[in-house]
Order: sequence, then structure tokens, then C-alpha cells
Amino acid sequence: MGVQAAIEETSSAVPVISDVTFAELSIDPYPTFKRARELAAIVRIAAANIMIATRYEDIMAMERDAETFSSVNPQSLVNKVMGHTMMRKDGEAHARERKAVEPALRPGAVKSCWAPKLEAIFDDVMAGFETNGEADLFTTLAAPMAGRALAEVLGFLDVDWQTMALWSQSLIDGAGNYSSDSEISRKAAEAARGVEQAIDRALAYHRENPNMSVLSSMIHADDPHTLDQIYANIKVAVGGGLNEPRDSILTLVLGLLENPDQLERVKADPNLWPVAFEESVRWISPIGMYPRRVTRDVIFSGVQLRAGDQVGLCVGAANRDASRFQDPDRFDVFREKKSHLAFGAGPHFCAGTWVARHMVGRLVVPRLFERLKNLRLRDRADVRIQGWVFRGPTTLPVVWDV
Amino acid sequence: MPNITFILPDGKEQGCTARDGLSLMEVALQNAVPGIIAECNGSAACATCHIVVDDALAPMLDPISEHESDMLDFTAAPRAPGSRLSCQIKVDGRVDGATIRIPAEV
Repeated sequence: MGVQAAIEETSSAVPVISDVTFAELSIDPYPTFKRARELAAIVRIAAANIMIATRYEDIMAMERDAETFSSVNPQSLVNKVMGHTMMRKDGEAHARERKAVEPALRPGAVKSCWAPKLEAIFDDVMAGFETNGEADLFTTLAAPMAGRALAEVLGFLDVDWQTMALWSQSLIDGAGNYSSDSEISRKAAEAARGVEQAIDRALAYHRENPNMSVLSSMIHADDPHTLDQIYANIKVAVGGGLNEPRDSILTLVLGLLENPDQLERVKADPNLWPVAFEESVRWISPIGMYPRRVTRDVIFSGVQLRAGDQVGLCVGAANRDASRFQDPDRFDVFREKKSHLAFGAGPHFCAGTWVARHMVGRLVVPRLFERLKNLRLRDRADVRIQGWVFRGPTTLPVVWDV
Repeated sequence: MPNITFILPDGKEQGCTARDGLSLMEVALQNAVPGIIAECNGSAACATCHIVVDDALAPMLDPISEHESDMLDFTAAPRAPGSRLSCQIKVDGRVDGATIRIPAEV
């Protein structure tokens, strides 16, 4: 199974999809993903000038073979923008740094430490708009909740959610700045500096007061981070830890509001909330794609790859692979329970998974439906969902009874 | 090669031989043992490769780390005496002839 089965004798060149624009991908990537899945294991998307893998089993096989499909990429823009982050390391080098942040993000830490703090943030965020009767949940709920939660878990002492959001977006844009746009580079560098300064301001406190935060874990670990490692890995967390809870809050709310029958069943049995959360990130995966670098010439699932090739692992596509998920485009909390790839797989499995599960699936969305009576979409036509590398609702206007 | 018997969530038994040096999780995946999902492929981050070892084997294995122990409190099937993450147990002579239970989710 796995790679042994996927690497076959027969091979062909990588087919190309050339009639889809970047804008079309951003509006709705799923028809293109479906075509790609049916075409070959690896397909080049001309508009994005990138090769992508879209099938569930293929991506799982690649994630189980880090020697062939490496996260190490000296030329990557992520390294240029953020420094040498653990996200672009493999093996022991990655494992050492990962181990140093784990104590802050374990499910036990979430339960004992973060749950009450996240609840206080949620109450405060809700108090800001819950008597209004209408709101865009992106700006009123999801963005402030995700930004404040991330600042808290990382151990920033004095950074507001608007700044977190700006830094996060600037770092993401910088990491995807393939056209070397100088304004994007400037903003990314400014965000990187801002993160470093916030770390500098917080470190003395965490040295004196060991606590559950990521920064504290990094400096008090048996194998502590160097300052450069702290800078790089906190930047990754800022870039990669804000969109995902923000977008999955909105996706879960949207999925349930569009399917009132499912919403009623979930409200009647609160044990279903975690299941509903997993379904929401399968349905619209906040991180739709991440890259791996091919380290040797290999025929993978019938396609010839060369050493040095970059392949985008399109988990947003794999999570709608019809050979694994029946009627995959449908949001269905009650579908047959199967694992998905929204948190990735392998050594780089999302470190923030347990925080996200709690925050989105047990706290924010269940409580939102409790507190806002008769919550409903203002108009489905006003909902916008965007992106394919990162994807989620960008506006979610709702109304409720006050 | 060590022989291992998995007792599946439905009570059926599945025997297999295991190569030294693999983890019990990898052995389970190679043999398509139901109930071992292993989302994180052995990083002890997902708690989806939960097994229960018997009283005789448990004390012979390397001790449970703080991290593994934390994860075991959050597995889909409740933690039991003998609960382990199968990704954290390497195959060697100690597991030869072992009976490994895959707990059923509640």
C-alpha cells in the first residue's frame, strides 16, 4: 500500500489544465479539482503555474514518504519572508522544534488552560454586537475571535486583533508573492519586524513566569528554541494560525444555516458539534493546498516527476474526492465517518488542531447558536466564499431576533 | 518476525507478522486493521491510533511519555488501563505473540 502501490512502472508526462483562469479558481476551485482528479495523479494548472495532487490516496502516500516529497525548500518564499521555520524542515530538525511547542497545544493544555481564556474572549466579542440583530460575522465575530485567541495562545502581551490580522495577511501574501511585487514584499517585511518586536517585548515576562503559552514553551523546553527559531516559528504561527479558525467558524455557521434540518439535529444532540466541525473543514478546507518538493526522479501514480519539481498537495480537493466521500460537495454532518486531510497528515499535522477543535467546534459556534435566537442568513446571495490556496467565507451577513 | 494478533472493535481477531523497527501503528496500517486511522502518521499529534495492550505486555513496554499520556486522555474511545498510542510502540521481541485490542468508539 501507500507509496509502493502508487509508484508504478508505466508513466506519462504531467497533463495540463490551461483553460481555467486564476480568478475562476478563486471563485470556485472545485470543478477544476474534479477535472484534475479524473485526469491524472498530478496535473499542472497553467494559470497558477503549479503542479497539483488532488486525490486522497495519493496525498496520503506522499505525506507518508517525506524522503521523496520533502518539506525542505531552501528557495521557498516562506523561508525568505519568515526565516527557517519548522514548516520547511523534515525529520529530526523538524521534530526537535515541534516538540518544544507541543506542551502549549496539547488537548490537555487546551482543556485546562485555554478553554476558560477562550471563553472569556468569546463573551467579550459577543457583547460587542449581540444586541444589534444583524451583523457580518466575519468582522464582528470570526476575525476578532481568531486574532485574539491566537495572540493569547502564542503569548503576545499587547497585540490587538486588528494588528494580528494585518500581520497574518501580510505574511501570507509575502509567502505567495511569486511575482515579486515590491509593495507586497515591503508589507511582509514590516509584518515580520512587527512580530519580532512583539516577541522581544514579551520574552522577559515569559522567562520570569513560565506558563502554557507557545512562547513560554519554546524558551522553557528541554531543547529550547534559539531567538531565530522563535522568530521564524512564531511568524509561521501568525501566518498559519489565524485564517483557519476564522474561516472554519464561518464555514460551520454557513453549512448549518444552509441545512436547517442538520442544525436542528445538532442542537438536539450537542455531542454532534465536534462531528459538525470536522465536516465543515472537510467541506471547505481553510488551507486548500501546501507544497512539497520532489527529491528524486520518480514515477508517481503513473506520472513522471523530476527531482526539484514542486507539487502542491491540494487537500481541499482530496477532501472532496468522490472515491472516498460520497456526494462530496454536500455539507453533511451525518455522512459516514471518515478521516479527512484538512489538518494535513504526517509530521506536519497541524499543531493547532486541538485548539481549533475546541474553539470552533465546542465553544464559538455552539454558543453562537445558543445566544443569537433564530439566527439566519440575511440573503444567501450576499455570502462570499473565496480562495483556493486558502479558502473561506469573506463575508457572512446574518440576522437574528433581539 | 514477531507475530501479533489484533482484536478488532467488533471482537474479531486478525493475526499478522510484523517487521522489527516498524511501529505497531505502521503494522496496523499495512494490514488494514480497522479502527487505526493514524491521521498524523506517527507524530503522536492526532490520537487516532489508540490501542489497548494487556496487563502482561504493558509493563514491558517503554513508559508512556507526558505527551502521549495527554493525547490518551482525548482518544475517541475512552482511555483504559493498557491504553497506548500504537505509533509510539516499536516492534521488537517484546511484542511477539502479543494480543492488541483496538477499542471501540462509544
